[in-house]
Amino acid sequence: MAARAAARCCCLALLALAAILPVQGIERIQLSIGDIRAPGLSVQGVELQFAAGSKGPELRIAHLALGERAWRGLHLSCPEADAAFPEIRCRGGEIRVGAKRLPLNIDFRFDPLTSAFDAVLRLSSGSTVDIHHDGGNLVEAALTRFEIGELSGDLAGFAAQVSPALAAELAQHAAKGTVDARLAWQQAGDADPHEKLQLQARLSGGSFSSPDGLQAAEGLALSLDLTARALAAGWDWQGRLAWEGGEAYLHPLYLQSGPVLQAEGRLNDDELVLRMATLELEGVDQFALTARIAREPPSLQDLTLSLAGGDLAILGPHWITPALAPALADRLRFAGHAGAGAEIRNGQLFSLDLVFDGAGLSLAGVDEGGEVRGRGLAFGPLSGHLPWSATAPTRASLQLEGGHWEALSLGAFDVDALLDGGQVAFGQIRIPLLDGALVLDGLALEHGAEGWRGQGGVVVEPLSMALLTQALGWPSMSGILSASMPGMRVSTGEISLDGALVVSVFDGYLQATGLRVSEPFGVASNLRADIEARHLDLAQLTDTFSFGSISGYVDADVKGLELAGWRPVAFDLRLASSPGSYRRRISQRAVQNIGALGGGGAIAALQRGVLSVFDTFGYRELGFHCVLANGICEMSGIAGRERPDGGFPIVRGGGIPALDVIGYNRRVDWQELVDRIQRVIENNVAPELH
Amino acid sequence: MPFFRIRSLLLAGSLALAASACVTINIYFPAAAAEKAADRIIDEVWQARENQSPQAAPAEQGAEQ
Amino acid sequence: MRWLTAGLLSWMMAFAVQAQGNLEIDTPAISALKASMKQRHAQLRPLYVSGAIGLAADGSVALRDASAVPLAQRGSVNALVAAENADRSALYREVARANQHPEWEADVRSTFAQRWIDRAPAGWWVQRGGTWVKK
Repeated sequence: MAARAAARCCCLALLALAAILPVQGIERIQLSIGDIRAPGLSVQGVELQFAAGSKGPELRIAHLALGERAWRGLHLSCPEADAAFPEIRCRGGEIRVGAKRLPLNIDFRFDPLTSAFDAVLRLSSGSTVDIHHDGGNLVEAALTRFEIGELSGDLAGFAAQVSPALAAELAQHAAKGTVDARLAWQQAGDADPHEKLQLQARLSGGSFSSPDGLQAAEGLALSLDLTARALAAGWDWQGRLAWEGGEAYLHPLYLQSGPVLQAEGRLNDDELVLRMATLELEGVDQFALTARIAREPPSLQDLTLSLAGGDLAILGPHWITPALAPALADRLRFAGHAGAGAEIRNGQLFSLDLVFDGAGLSLAGVDEGGEVRGRGLAFGPLSGHLPWSATAPTRASLQLEGGHWEALSLGAFDVDALLDGGQVAFGQIRIPLLDGALVLDGLALEHGAEGWRGQGGVVVEPLSMALLTQALGWPSMSGILSASMPGMRVSTGEISLDGALVVSVFDGYLQATGLRVSEPFGVASNLRADIEARHLDLAQLTDTFSFGSISGYVDADVKGLELAGWRPVAFDLRLASSPGSYRRRISQRAVQNIGALGGGGAIAALQRGVLSVFDTFGYRELGFHCVLANGICEMSGIAGRERPDGGFPIVRGGGIPALDVIGYNRRVDWQELVDRIQRVIENNVAPELH
Repeated sequence: MPFFRIRSLLLAGSLALAASACVTINIYFPAAAAEKAADRIIDEVWQARENQSPQAAPAEQGAEQ
Repeated sequence: MRWLTAGLLSWMMAFAVQAQGNLEIDTPAISALKASMKQRHAQLRPLYVSGAIGLAADGSVALRDASAVPLAQRGSVNALVAAENADRSALYREVARANQHPEWEADVRSTFAQRWIDRAPAGWWVQRGGTWVKK
C-alpha cells in the first residue's frame, strides 16, 4: 500500500517538475524535458503538449522507472480541458500505459506560473486520491476509502506492475479492507535541507486469510502514524502502529486487538532497522525490541527483545501453551511473573534469558478417558534465572519454594543446571518429601529430534511410612521407605529406573525393582515394577487393614505389576507363608474375609458348621496366587496342593482346631474383588457371601 | 584332533547362524498382524458414532469388553 | 549336526509363525489411549467432515484448512489436533512396546497411517503422495 501511494506521488511530482520550466504562451505549450534521476526513480523523455482548441493537454513519458519496475509509453490525455489564464485544467483525464488504459479518471488544475498543482484521481470503485502541490516543496496526497480488494480486482494489473510479489501475496491471502490515508511530502528546500514524509493511515474492516487459514485476520482496524526524514544514510523514521480492532490467528496463536507498537529506525536500500521499539501488550509491563531486517530478500537478520513484568497467568494460555505444548492446553496452568530477553544474530537464535519471579506451573492429572482429574503435578513459587547461549555453556539457577505431586507436598528445593546447546546437566536436586527427600543425582538430558532423552540416578532418602500413608489417605502403616536407583534412563515416553526401592514395613521388607514409567504425562501413564516382599508380619498387616486377625509371616512376589492411574491392572502375585517357625493362628473373621478372596465357595460350611464356635484356628501354611489380566484375577492357592475336585487350598489347617480354606472359583472379576475388600475394610463387617 | 576341530567349527558356525537368524527375526515386522491390530483399534476409536448417536456415546463406553 | 540345524529351523519357524499371528493390543495403556481417542473423536468428526483437518501420511492428524473453523476457535482446534497426535504417538509406541519390540514403532506408525487413510469414510481428506485428496 505504502509503496503504491508513494509511486503515485512520484508520478505527479514529475508532472509538477515539468511545469516548473518557463512557459511562453497559453495558445500552445510544448515542453520537453531530458532525464530526471533520483534514488529509486528515473524518468526519461517527458513531453507536455497543450494547444488551445485541440483535444486537450497531453503528457507523455517515454520511460519511467520506479525502483526495479519500469514502464514505457506513459500517456495522459484530457478529453475535457480548458486553459483559463493562468491555469490549465483537465477533467476526466485518462492515463494509458502503452495501449492499456488504467481504470481511473484524473481531474487536474495546473498553474504554470506558480507551478501549483491539484489533482483528483477517481477509481472506478469510488475511492479517490487527492493530490496537492503548492508549487514549492510540499506535495500532499489524501487517499479516501480505498479498497485493498481492488488490488486483486480492477487494479490487479497495475498492482502486478508495481510489485508482482506484493500483488501475488494480496491476491493469495484474499486481502480486504478500506484504507484512508494522508501523506505530506516536503522536499528538500532552503528552510530544511532534508526531505520529509508524514503519513497517517487507517485500515478498517481489514481481513486476510492464507489458503490454509493458518494466517488470517478479520475485522482488522489499524492506525498508523509515521514521520520520516531523508538523510544521506537513508530515511530516518518514527511511528506508531495501533491495533484497534479485530482478531487474528497466526498459527498457532490467536490474538486480539490491543497491542500498540511505537518504533523508530532507519530505512535504506538494503535494510530496515528498528533502532528502538516498544510494544504495549496485555499481560506485559514493558516490551522493547530492536531489529534489523534485510530487504532483498526480506529476512530477519538481528533482533533483540526484552520483556519485563510478564504476567504468566495471561501469557501462559495465550502465548506459551499454544506455541510450546498445545496438546496440554486444558491441563497446564501458569501463575506469577517472568521476564525474558532474547537475541537473534544473523537469523539464528543467539541467546535467551528467562527470569522467574514467583512463577507457578501446574499440570493437572487426567483419567483414562482423557478428562482432567486429580491434583497432578505442580511446582512453585519458582524464582531464578535461566540463561541460554548458542556459543557458550551457561548456568541456570532456580529456587522452588515447593510444589505437589498428586497428594504429596514437595518441600523447597534448588535446581542448578549447566546448559550447553541442546544439553542440560543438572546438579544434585534434592526435593524434600515428608521427612525424607527425593534426590536426583547427575541428571543429564539432551534434546534431539525425538524429544528429550538422558540419564541420571534417583535416591529416595528414608521417609516414614506413617507420614506417607497419612498423606495418601491410606490406612496407617509404620516403616521406612527408601530407594537407590542409580540407573535412571529417560527417553521419549518412558522413564526406567534400575535399582531398587525398598520399604521396610510390617517387620519385613518390600523391594521394588525394574521400575518403568511410560507416558508419564499422558492418558496412558503407566508404571511397571517387580515387587518382592519378605517376612511381612500378618498380625500388623491384617490389623492395619481391619481384615480380622492372622498371626504369622508371609512372603510375596509380584511379577509384572502394572499400575495405570495408580490402580493395578496387571500382575502375577504369589503369596506364601514365610519359612521358619512362628505362631500361626487365624481368626474366624479373617477366614471369612479370605473366603471372599476365594469367591466364597468354601465358606458356607464354616458358617453352618460346629467350627463357628471357635474364635481362632491354627494353620500350617497360607498360599495365594492371582494372575490379573484384562480385569480378571485368575486364582489358585497353595502351590502344589491342587485338589482333585478342582478346589485350591488357600489356608491349610494345622493344630487344634484346624481348618482348611478351599477356593473353587478360579476366575474372579478384579473390580468386584476390590470392591468387596473395600467393603470389608470400611464396614469392618463380614462380607456378603454368595 | 581334526575331528574335534571340525566339530567345534561346525558348532561355532551353527551358533553364528543361530545368532544371525535371531537378528533377522528381531527386525522382522509382522505387517499383516499389525494391519489387523490397527483395524481393530481404528474400529473402536471411530465406530462409536456409527452405531450410536454421538450424544449418547460417552456414557456407554466403559460397559463393553 | 543335522539334528541341531533342524531344531534351529523349527525354532525359527515357530518364532515366525508366532510373529505372524496377532499383535498384543489389549494392554491397559492401549485401552486408555483408545478410550481417550474415542472420546475426542466426537469433537474431531465434524472437523474431518468439514475438511478442517485430515489424515496425514505420517499417521497423524493435520490441520489442513483452518478456514473451515471460525477464527476464535482455530487455537482450540489446533490444541485438539496436538492432543490427538500426542495420543497417536503414544499409541504407536505402546503397540510396539506391548509386543516387546520398541524398535517397531516406525513400522507400527506407517501401518496405522495407511489404515487410517484407507478406512476413512468418503468426504474426509487424506494425504496421498504428499497432496491432500478428498475421499
